[in-house]
Amino acid sequence: MSVNPSKIGVLGAGTMGAGIAQVAAQAGFDTLLYDVSQEFIDRGLGRIRTFLEGSRKRGKLSAEQEQQILARLKGTLKLEDFSGYGLIIEAVPEQIELKREIFKKLDADCGIETILATNTSSFSVTVIAAAARRPERVLGLHFFNPPALMALVEVVQGERTSAAAMETATGIVRRMGKTPVAAKDTPGFIVNRIARPFYNEALRILGDGGATVETIDKVMKGAGGFPMGPFELMDLIGIDINFAATQSLFEAFFHDPRFRPSPIQRRMFLAGNLGRKTGRGFYTYGDK
Amino acid sequence: MAINSVAILGVSRLAEELVKLSQAGGLSATLHADAATVPSSASLVVETQAAPESEKRELLNKLDARVSGSTVIVSSCLAFSPTLIGSWSAAPERVVGFATFYPLADKKVVELSGGLRAGEASLEQAEEFFRRLGKETARVKDTAGLIFPRILSLIINEAARALDEGVAEEEAIDAAMKLGVNYPSGPLRWADRVGIDEVLAVLEGAHRESGDDRYRPSPLLKKMVAAGWLGEASGKGFYSYNEGKR
Repeated sequence: MSVNPSKIGVLGAGTMGAGIAQVAAQAGFDTLLYDVSQEFIDRGLGRIRTFLEGSRKRGKLSAEQEQQILARLKGTLKLEDFSGYGLIIEAVPEQIELKREIFKKLDADCGIETILATNTSSFSVTVIAAAARRPERVLGLHFFNPPALMALVEVVQGERTSAAAMETATGIVRRMGKTPVAAKDTPGFIVNRIARPFYNEALRILGDGGATVETIDKVMKGAGGFPMGPFELMDLIGIDINFAATQSLFEAFFHDPRFRPSPIQRRMFLAGNLGRKTGRGFYTYGDK
Repeated sequence: MAINSVAILGVSRLAEELVKLSQAGGLSATLHADAATVPSSASLVVETQAAPESEKRELLNKLDARVSGSTVIVSSCLAFSPTLIGSWSAAPERVVGFATFYPLADKKVVELSGGLRAGEASLEQAEEFFRRLGKETARVKDTAGLIFPRILSLIINEAARALDEGVAEEEAIDAAMKLGVNYPSGPLRWADRVGIDEVLAVLEGAHRESGDDRYRPSPLLKKMVAAGWLGEASGKGFYSYNEGKR
């Protein structure tokens, strides 16, 4: 069975899934968004509508374009509906067994030409691909949050991913209007790994009494030219998300001290001081 | 006490830049390759050599013997803690550490640190000097590499390891960090600008002073320095800069 390269499937209608579906539809792909309940799908599509409405009101999109994009977006509760799709991007919750189950099923349902991609940030693409009988067509497409605004996509080659699948996926990412960069399947790929010291070393300096939160942020912006200080950024990302990423790298590198998490971050996570979203993190926010 | 004249000691792009910035700030500033030519009457001397220890220690000894008792010595603490550098002077109270990477022109903030025996008056003089250059200062605890140079060096170290392991190519790594987390420069390109030798000095300093393996330098960085691939300054680093390329 041949596939239709202009059709993209997205699994998971959360922040990342809905964002990726929006990017695909905006780039002209017929896009099908899957989730396990109609409520989740409606919420995801609702988020996209709100975003597009905002773009139209700011004059970045005509009403006609908005309608065309929305017409290219549909939802489904059935994984079977994806056979014949050129590319399927999985963005379900970060649970390894759930992802492996999905790839096993997609692999069985979809024609051999369909490329299966995972948006995982914390698991090995190779481990997910191994659930498929044909891991050659499985790879990682790691979008950044929020997908509609962030230009980067890491195209991750698993141990058994074919060069042809990498090439096809890279081309599709370009057609989606994003900048693809190729990475081997290693913990944290490129960005999450190399960015680790920005957070971890700042936490280490804080823990050692080297400087205050405010001073470290001021130095990293004023001397380093970074747009945000590490503590401001951790508060924005969420202490829970950032701590989970650090822990995942630490485990994946077999406890290499370079990735050792900070007790400060763990304490904040346990206390529920998660940053902006709870009103309390390294700084305090509003009246939450 | 007012700062009248400053002497900048060192053979580096940073030393040359400090002279220009001092003059632009209305100070009388002179550049010296050797401590022996530093005028003994200088109010403040900025010493910019990062490493190695033997040379830097000798430089401090010479400088210390040459200048008057009231001269403040502001020394680069990229690779050694200000307390250790102060211990190489007969008057540790006059020694203040500063840590920054070339170029200084685009930086709003300069980090300063006094060792355990540094005097408050010396720190204030150092602050006044950088204010005259149009910089804000931040006082931080005394460690090798202080804050920004240490954090950036660790980011570069991780990028060098990822490159060495074949995770991705130079351009891919730099593009990913700019687009994925909005870094002002890709880490490998950044390393070439500040100097691979300076980055290695920071990592080796932090590794030596803390004994913690998280600072262990990437073998690739060590090999590059051994090969003389220091970045922009030598024409070759992670990228090539010959014939006006890049």
